Amino acid sequence: MPPRTCALCNDARAILKRPKTGQQICKECFFYVFETEVHNTITEARLFKPGDRVAIGASGGKDSTVLAHVMKTLNERYKYGLELFLLSIDEGITGYRDDSLETVKRNQQQYDMPLKILSYDELYGWTMDAIVAQIGKKNNCTFCGVFRRQALDRGAAILNVDHIVTGHNADDIAETVLMNIMRGDIARLGRCTSICTQGEDTIKRSKPFKYAYEKEIVMYAYFKKLDYFSTECIYSPDAYRGHARAFLKDLEAARPSAIIDIIHSGEAFEINDDVKATQKLQQTCRRCGYMSSNELCKACTLLEGLERGMPTAAVTDRARRKLDADGPVPENLRTIPLFQLPSNLRQNAATAVEATS
Amino acid sequence: MQRRKKYDKTKICVRCKDAQGNIVIRHTVYCKNCFTPLLIHKFRRVLEPTVNPKPDGPRRTALKPAGNLVIGFSGGLGSSVLLDLVHRCYVALDKSTMPTEGGRDHPRHERVWKKVTVCYVEVCDAFPGMDDRTDEIARFVSRYDELDFVPLRIQHAFDRTWWERIGRSTSFSDIGVDLADESLLIEPLSQTHPDPLTALRTYLSSLPTPTAIHSSIQALTRVLLLHTALQTGSSHLVLGTSLTSLAVSLISGVAQGAGFNVREESMEEWTPDPETRPAPDTVPDDGTEGARKSKEARRTVRIVRPLRDIGMKECATWAWWSHIPVVGKEKWVWPGAKPGIGTLTKDFILGLEQDYPSTVSTVVRTCGKLAPKGEVAGKCILCGRPAQRGVQEWKARISIRSQPPPPPSDSDSTDAPATPAPVVPESKANTRPSLTPYLCYPCHTTLTSRSARPVPSPWPDTAHSSVAPLPVWTEARLGTHANVGVSVADEEEIAVAKKMDQEEMKGIVNEFLCIIRS
Ligand code: SF4
Ligand SMILES: [Zn+2]
Ligand SMILES: [Zn+2]
Repeated sequence: MPPRTCALCNDARAILKRPKTGQQICKECFFYVFETEVHNTITEARLFKPGDRVAIGASGGKDSTVLAHVMKTLNERYKYGLELFLLSIDEGITGYRDDSLETVKRNQQQYDMPLKILSYDELYGWTMDAIVAQIGKKNNCTFCGVFRRQALDRGAAILNVDHIVTGHNADDIAETVLMNIMRGDIARLGRCTSICTQGEDTIKRSKPFKYAYEKEIVMYAYFKKLDYFSTECIYSPDAYRGHARAFLKDLEAARPSAIIDIIHSGEAFEINDDVKATQKLQQTCRRCGYMSSNELCKACTLLEGLERGMPTAAVTDRARRKLDADGPVPENLRTIPLFQLPSNLRQNAATAVEATS
Repeated sequence: MQRRKKYDKTKICVRCKDAQGNIVIRHTVYCKNCFTPLLIHKFRRVLEPTVNPKPDGPRRTALKPAGNLVIGFSGGLGSSVLLDLVHRCYVALDKSTMPTEGGRDHPRHERVWKKVTVCYVEVCDAFPGMDDRTDEIARFVSRYDELDFVPLRIQHAFDRTWWERIGRSTSFSDIGVDLADESLLIEPLSQTHPDPLTALRTYLSSLPTPTAIHSSIQALTRVLLLHTALQTGSSHLVLGTSLTSLAVSLISGVAQGAGFNVREESMEEWTPDPETRPAPDTVPDDGTEGARKSKEARRTVRIVRPLRDIGMKECATWAWWSHIPVVGKEKWVWPGAKPGIGTLTKDFILGLEQDYPSTVSTVVRTCGKLAPKGEVAGKCILCGRPAQRGVQEWKARISIRSQPPPPPSDSDSTDAPATPAPVVPESKANTRPSLTPYLCYPCHTTLTSRSARPVPSPWPDTAHSSVAPLPVWTEARLGTHANVGVSVADEEEIAVAKKMDQEEMKGIVNEFLCIIRS
């Protein structure tokens, strides 16, 4: 076949077929449309305003490495006026996170951004290695996910930023939409496609890559020769998510637009009003001050279970009852330090309370 | 998600607490005697609240539909069970199926629908080497008395004589769409009035994926059934979608971008396009009271899936115990075809259900809590379902398909740093008429979204013309937009219909008619 010219610039030679559109395009056009789509996502959702301090959740993997690169590029190109930081969580997984953190440290140099690393060990007194040693490899990702979510917010508070961007890509979001439908998690289903979560007075969490295909992120990193760490976590994710992921890959093979079509579906519906009315109100955890939908936040419950040797306490209701029946919380129980919002948000929150009272 | 034992505690039926159980339905054991009323109860519980024109109105005393009933029959397990249940409960008035309250003179013990029609759409001509089952289906239907049988063929969707036969005007020109190009330009057909079978096969061969072929046949079938409902003066079309198949179609719909129509998957109301609707006197009048009362109501067809709380296994049990000789459906395959999204979803959901036996009910329950978000822009010209506004802008923003403008240079580094780049270059707001603005998201995706690799067509020998014919209802609606010869009574509705999406496509049809005439 004769060399094709790029479907976008009609000039350079096409060297790749874009997974998302099937178009054959040149390398420069690929970079440019990839970045422009992220820019469109950011501006359409009005994610930032000039002067914002933004932390990039960095794991050293491809998604967050490409995110750091693209955020830096767009910040300069379109003059977003953002102050960017790298924020890494050290889960304490030997042979995985220790190596990937080395990559993040190099990224810090390459992108010239301040880096903060916060470990599960210093925050919770437990590494993932220690958790897996106690609970086995069954619910490890539940623990890890809950702990990471809080750790990121706490890291953000330390950096005094009010916005965290994460490298979740379109494949992750499509997979989550499917999982939430199949598991009946209506509350998560309602919010999993929104680009930005959290309200006025909390740390914002957003996903600038929500429409970026995983395959294209890999291609971008490859053609830009970005330095990233590509090993999978040694504690493999849960079987159910694995099924959903395999299914999504099949759908993508049948029709590549399936990923974006699933996200479109997720954005085209919402929880109906009857169900909304029954949803739990947000409160703060009485033990650590983090936001929670129960008296105790998930992390505190999980930690208490670990400390008291009943690690499934927050995973099943029956185990939680058993824990409660087992007597009151011991005096010397290890707890998570009190959570405080970054200073600028604390002010907002205070005014919000005043205004409503 | 935990794997569980098949049944909870004992093997004794939970209802009569006496007999040894014969079937386990989601961890619960039932005996054969208790299973029958249970299934009939589940069936009535879904169907009956939708019978009266005002859903969920007071219906303790009477079920009074606005028209007749059509059963959409595929020959598969679900629709066979549905036909059996409808016949027993509402035609044969089998005493054992009656609710006990109200006594013998209870008005519910009368015929509910005056006429019940079974409509079968034969799809064998869409796939090479598939058997025609119309005769077998006819024999199956004839086991039941007092049912009308309307056999159709999938190519009726491209058949002007059928369109005329159901009382529609065919005074529109032959137009098609260029499916080889993403912009879906509307073009005149090279051949006038192609024969329906050729038209069908050209259309299917021009579609970009196996997924598109499957979904298109499903959509064509659905619209054929709806028009049959209209023609038979029916207010209700019932389909044999079981809990299991509903879960599959919900997930498969989500995977094809149909999130806006999640609600329609379990219950929908359809009215024909005002422009192509038959004149009121061509609708047969059977003198039902409800029909006389409201002319409007009888133009509305309510699609109900009365088996949507009943799993496939329960259907199979019913069919077995009732000795229903299910004809069955053939797989929609052709040489070299890879499975489409529908097939993949079915395999996936059925597989998951084996290990996690509450999957299908969870999917259906979850989707039942969803409502469409955003504005309706009108009705899709292909599938007739509500289309969401703004989908083309969304698509253009998320997947850039033409060269975007360059980034701002340093010199114009003034204020407003965060303005989005214009996503659709001006030139794309092109003057040539396109089908795109008339389509819903899933139908647009069906027509434009390609596989990574070329896909073998079911009809490789079909003469390749770049312009594919369109279903008659699509042609009719496109063709009559320009002829504003409508009666006064309809004008208001036209105005409403116009407001939908017409601002955006103003003039398109007129222009396009000029092209054809010139
Ligand atoms: S796979 Fe599980 S354990 Fe490993 S990092 Fe991810 S969430 Fe943590
Ligand atoms: Zn190019
Ligand atoms: Zn449609």
